[in-house]
Amino acid sequence: MIKHTMDRRDFLRVLGISGAAATLAGCGNTAIESGVEEVMSYVHPQDFVVPGIGVFYASTCTQCGSGCGIMGKVREGRVLKLEGNPESGISGGKICGLGQAAVQAHYNPDRLHTPMLNMDGGLVPISWDRASQILDERLGAKSSLQGDQIAFLSGGMSGHQRVLLENFLDSYGSKQHVCYDALSDATGRAATKAVLGTEQPLWDLSKSRLILSFGSDFLGNGVSPVYMAREFAKFRKAPRGTLIQIEPRMTLTGGNADRWYPIKPGTEGILALGIAHDLLQHPEFSGSVPQEVLDLVKNYDRETVSDITGIGADSVRLIAAQLWNNSPSLVVAGPAVYGHAYGFSNMAAVQLLNIILGNRGKTLQGQAEHPFPQMTPTPGTYRALAELTQKMQSGQCQALLITGTNPVFTSPSQLAFSEAMKKVPFKVAMVTHLDETAGQCDLVLPLLSAMEDFGTHVADYQPEGVEVLIQQPLMEKLYPDTRGFGDILLDVLRKRKADYAAFPDYYSYLKAAVVKAKPVFQSEESDDRFWETALMKGVIKWQGKTTALEAKLGALEVPNPRELSTDYPFYFIPSIRPDMRDGRHAHLPWLQESPETMTTIVWDSWVEIHPKTAAEMQIKEGDVLVLQSATGSIQAKAYLFPGIQPDTVSMPLGQGHTQMGRYATGVGANPYKIMDAVFDAHTGELALHATRVAIRKTGDNQMVVKDEGPTNVQHGQKLVATLSADQARLSQEI
Amino acid sequence: MSLSNLIQNWQMFRTRRPYEDQYKDAPYKWAMVIDLDTCIGCNACTVACYAENNLAVVGKERFGKGQAMHWIRIERYWGEGEEMKTDFPERGAQYLPMLCQQCEAAPCEPVCPVGATHHSADGLNTQVYNRCVGSRYCSANCPYKVRYFNWWNYPERAWPNPLELQLNPDVTVRSKGVMEKCTFCMQRLRAGMDKAKTDGRILADGEVLTACAQACPTSAITFGNLADKKSKVARMWKKQQVDLAKNVQDKTEEGIRGYRVLEELNTYPSIVYLERLRNFAA
Amino acid sequence: MSHSVHSHPQLDVQIERKFVPKAKDLGPDVSWAQINKDVLRSLEKPRPAFWIIFFSALALFSFGVYCEVYQYQNGMGVADLNNPQVWGLYIATFIFWIGMGHSGTLLSALLHIIHADWRKPIYRYSEAMTTFTLLTAALFVMVHLGRVWQFYYVVAYPNERWVWPNFTSPLVWDATAIGTYLTSSLLFLYMGMIPDLAICRDNARGARRALYKFLSLGWQGTDRQWGNFKVAYMTMACFLMPLAVSVHSIVSTDFAVSQNPGWHVTSFPPYFVLGALYSGCSGIITLFIVLRYVFRFEAYMTQPILNKLIKMTFAIAMVWTYLDLIEYATTWYGSDEVAKADLVYRATGDYALQFWGMIFCAMVMPFTLLIRYVRHNYTVLLIISLILNLGMWLERFQIITPTFAKSHYPWTWTSHWWPSWVQWGMVAGSFGWFTMLFMLYCKIFPSVSMYEVKEMVHEQNLEGKLAQPVSEHAHEAGLPEGGQA
Repeated sequence: MIKHTMDRRDFLRVLGISGAAATLAGCGNTAIESGVEEVMSYVHPQDFVVPGIGVFYASTCTQCGSGCGIMGKVREGRVLKLEGNPESGISGGKICGLGQAAVQAHYNPDRLHTPMLNMDGGLVPISWDRASQILDERLGAKSSLQGDQIAFLSGGMSGHQRVLLENFLDSYGSKQHVCYDALSDATGRAATKAVLGTEQPLWDLSKSRLILSFGSDFLGNGVSPVYMAREFAKFRKAPRGTLIQIEPRMTLTGGNADRWYPIKPGTEGILALGIAHDLLQHPEFSGSVPQEVLDLVKNYDRETVSDITGIGADSVRLIAAQLWNNSPSLVVAGPAVYGHAYGFSNMAAVQLLNIILGNRGKTLQGQAEHPFPQMTPTPGTYRALAELTQKMQSGQCQALLITGTNPVFTSPSQLAFSEAMKKVPFKVAMVTHLDETAGQCDLVLPLLSAMEDFGTHVADYQPEGVEVLIQQPLMEKLYPDTRGFGDILLDVLRKRKADYAAFPDYYSYLKAAVVKAKPVFQSEESDDRFWETALMKGVIKWQGKTTALEAKLGALEVPNPRELSTDYPFYFIPSIRPDMRDGRHAHLPWLQESPETMTTIVWDSWVEIHPKTAAEMQIKEGDVLVLQSATGSIQAKAYLFPGIQPDTVSMPLGQGHTQMGRYATGVGANPYKIMDAVFDAHTGELALHATRVAIRKTGDNQMVVKDEGPTNVQHGQKLVATLSADQARLSQEI
Repeated sequence: MSLSNLIQNWQMFRTRRPYEDQYKDAPYKWAMVIDLDTCIGCNACTVACYAENNLAVVGKERFGKGQAMHWIRIERYWGEGEEMKTDFPERGAQYLPMLCQQCEAAPCEPVCPVGATHHSADGLNTQVYNRCVGSRYCSANCPYKVRYFNWWNYPERAWPNPLELQLNPDVTVRSKGVMEKCTFCMQRLRAGMDKAKTDGRILADGEVLTACAQACPTSAITFGNLADKKSKVARMWKKQQVDLAKNVQDKTEEGIRGYRVLEELNTYPSIVYLERLRNFAA
Repeated sequence: MSHSVHSHPQLDVQIERKFVPKAKDLGPDVSWAQINKDVLRSLEKPRPAFWIIFFSALALFSFGVYCEVYQYQNGMGVADLNNPQVWGLYIATFIFWIGMGHSGTLLSALLHIIHADWRKPIYRYSEAMTTFTLLTAALFVMVHLGRVWQFYYVVAYPNERWVWPNFTSPLVWDATAIGTYLTSSLLFLYMGMIPDLAICRDNARGARRALYKFLSLGWQGTDRQWGNFKVAYMTMACFLMPLAVSVHSIVSTDFAVSQNPGWHVTSFPPYFVLGALYSGCSGIITLFIVLRYVFRFEAYMTQPILNKLIKMTFAIAMVWTYLDLIEYATTWYGSDEVAKADLVYRATGDYALQFWGMIFCAMVMPFTLLIRYVRHNYTVLLIISLILNLGMWLERFQIITPTFAKSHYPWTWTSHWWPSWVQWGMVAGSFGWFTMLFMLYCKIFPSVSMYEVKEMVHEQNLEGKLAQPVSEHAHEAGLPEGGQA
């Protein structure tokens, strides 16, 4: 029964809102009546806006380079939560914590929302008109900048942003697109390419019977963690594969190992050769192995290897036997292997195992050729930054544009990047947050967040053919004075090149570019339909063919690692947190409060030290330690961690910000600043694992803030029960 | 009417729960299976929970005081069983995602003085924020310690503008002085069940997932309707020979690995964990 | 005064049977007029110590109020409570104060029922102590609530939505039991005061007179009034005694029905009741000495009465000790590994000092009561009675904190958890609140029962006259003055 719902009082109230609003305005009634708020009608809502109902829009996650397809739940015009996009071959409907936190980067209270200009040593807010005017003066049609005088420093970049950026540089005749990634795996890639013929082969985890991982944290922060985790789950199903992890400091992946070995840092290549030595004893190999390889491994018998690496001779034999018996296997390696002065050789030695074991074509494939090589990601390297720094020092660089990277924070102090920046007369940063690098620029432009901007991306690691990943806004922009990266470039570019006049904004550019690529994807849809489908699905797929891998067994020399000296008696290993990475996500409160899994510590930096070593040095949890390297020193609290080689101490990267908002600053310390100047001999990359330190106690003790209580064993309770894998009947499980 | 309700309710009080086939005729009984062999400890579930359920970020100082609000936490243990016997964790770490176990005989329920925590018809252990007076007896009695109390007025500091725009409108932002805990994302369940009811059906398996299960990159968390015998979760429970209404399971098959944490306390949890596996030959 | 004293129908028989003198609880020279005068003077002019105590208590209470306001404003977090440690000092001190109340009832009701006349000069303040400790305990029920402004949800009040409290919760039992106990104690205290209030009324002027007049309900001391009074008073006493036993039993179920290690103990109800009586008796001794000095009650609060009180305290302490050790023994020899680990933790872990402190204060210290010097030196006795109660407070701390620190779930164990100043402030405030109320009561109402002391004097004189020869005989035999040692 419908009741009579409006009485006289209500009628008057309605009158009060509409007709008599003006007369009531001064009476101090409700916010609506006094005109402070407006009554919005949903009679004619925007498309798909149904009050109270969330609608999912597809997009692509830009928190790391993996290119996971995501879906944003949008309700009443706000993006609320991100989920994985089932259409995406990479995320498969799943999402990691780092990806979830993208909404916090978007809604972050410390977002930069006006352009800033450096005046008399300090950044002050200015209007966009003013900012455009400055850009125009310096970079516009009348700009005198030519060639490599202008440089663009970015993080890893792909898709049409990269294309546009390089076109932008082209208009000056510059080739200076410098990509810097503080966690660069360039050495590893180079060595892999040298041995297998491709930088980043595809791994088939699910098909592998055994994975031997040398410090590769593929589940935590490898090339595509969500995809790897999905594959790892398949690997764990029947017939369950075995994971053997060898690394100096236990990573998230190491925590999942069936067998975990602590190894002396830097000796992984020697161990790999030792295992190869053992494997090559099998009669199947007689006569078929090139002499160089035999020469290479001949000195690495079990005992020698055991002496150098600290892994028992029996274990070497066992690992080799396991590899032999569980084919196909997969041997992978991470920063612990290539982060040394001879990282290239180390990595090559590890990849040699894949060749010996015949994993090529079985668990290792080459990625499909991308039809648009200009869109593929540019891997960031340290070397490129070092070269740029030199140019900046020498005054060659007249204008520097920076986006997506923060070298002032992440470059080692001996590079003196910050000092070099002072030599550049015009520095522009395009950021969402005022970070350390932007803080030193002349002009800082506020970017749209990843939830507000359009873009296309190509993943580093494309497991299922070729994908072009579409990023689309999940909501209107929060701040009127923020602009898209592409829009800013186009604004300048339009003034320099007439053919860009057709694109009033980045959206039109992007749409035109994507639609133009339609024939490659063999689509017969109309242009608009093609574009809409792309937006709807968040991904354009193309069945590329995997390529074959080569096997180049070249000469290789794997030296013994530098011995520890009495001055610096500890190996220092920076660990990479899956959520913080190089520190670019330190401003996200969810991630700061998310306990680092291995230690469960939050909101801090810490020094991991083995309990035995700690006992010898009488170090307790929470003792504030000074880590002194040849380059500098740093302070952090001790945390006793059994998953670390006893001569090694480790500290997580990503904390120690001095700028970047309230959540990032004042938290922990920045280990980049004590990195020794050790570089890979082959690629010139900074060797992240080659620093040696001395430890000194300050006498101070502070509470380590962590989720773990006073105990970390189960005290006989059946909390996590463990069953021997051979007793389980996984094949019968659902 | 009300009196008969009262008598009926009293009958429910008087019946020992759970009993065999308790949910035989019920449309829903929500339950979970967490495979500890595929859980990699990546924390995706915990962040997803923060995002979905408006969990407050408490900051370093309050976290240090033990006042964190993570409804689901990843515990990391060393050593199998009693203690760590080796110098190094040779068999890796042991990750345990611990969330409210939605016990059928929940120790938290009978002790709440105001009935703010009670059992729902679909087998959830629910918390009525409006009713809670904050005696914390439920937390004191919870053997898993998965109930989280609003020690402070967290909304004051947790979502400085415009972070509050991210808050899920379907979930209450809790004020100081009330207890909160994992709800199995009941706002999602509620919306799903209402929709299904409108359509005149029950929810299909996997149609509604908790935020943690949906995010989990390894799909280690299986969530579903135990009352639906064909659902994946029900089949897994059956296969693992775990009976909701038993505190000592009859395990006739060998090599099955389902168990419930602290089952010996007769809490009858709704979450089955699958034992972590290790290849001890490696 | 025309009231009927307890009649002794077989007076003669009793006299014949007396061979040793009955202890003379009061001195021989207390006249009825003197009683009125002394007690009424306590309402007017106590020693200056009264004001010192009162204002110190007021200061403590004010600090407690400050702490509560601070906590109310900011949230329970200021108490440094956390996920496993959800209760801290609030519940520990709650049990402490509830326990304190029990001995008042023991003295006023049980000893009344069994005609133990020595209770008469001291039962009134004991009963007042019961009332005020219950009020103090109720304070902690409030203080520990996260949303104290919604406390009435715990009460079964009628409402249109038929929402009731959860009757399966021991906290509801608690609220009901304590509510009943508080009401009954208050009524019992008040009822026992009526004849005395009439005396006050007849001797007061101004506002006080109006107050007493109102409160004495027109008491004239007629036979009929006395008759009804006696019956009603005895009925109340009979009702109150089992109630007192039930209250602390119910408080113990807060813990005993739970599964937590160290709480899941069958013997908790008697153990709690005895603990309550124990701390209550020590409390009565403390107040005995304080009131005796402050209000110059030397003539009524005499050594023989104190001796009896001490004997009772010692006996109760021993039974309590036995029950405590029994609890440890059952845990130790039982097969609940977690509870066993918890017991070991109590004795050796972070709170070992408190554990052994409790053992020393509450189990060892009572033995000093066997020393005659201790019983006769009021300063020493005052300190010892306070130590006994410190021990009992530590016992309550021992029940709450270590159990939370090491529960079933190792991940959430705590180490070295310690309450914040806010909690301590509120504990201190509760002592201030109690002392303040109690002192105020003693200043306004007769804290020694005039009419009952008169009965006592009357009986004693009667007995004394008749037993004179025996008494003299006993004197010759070398018995110390005032009865047995």
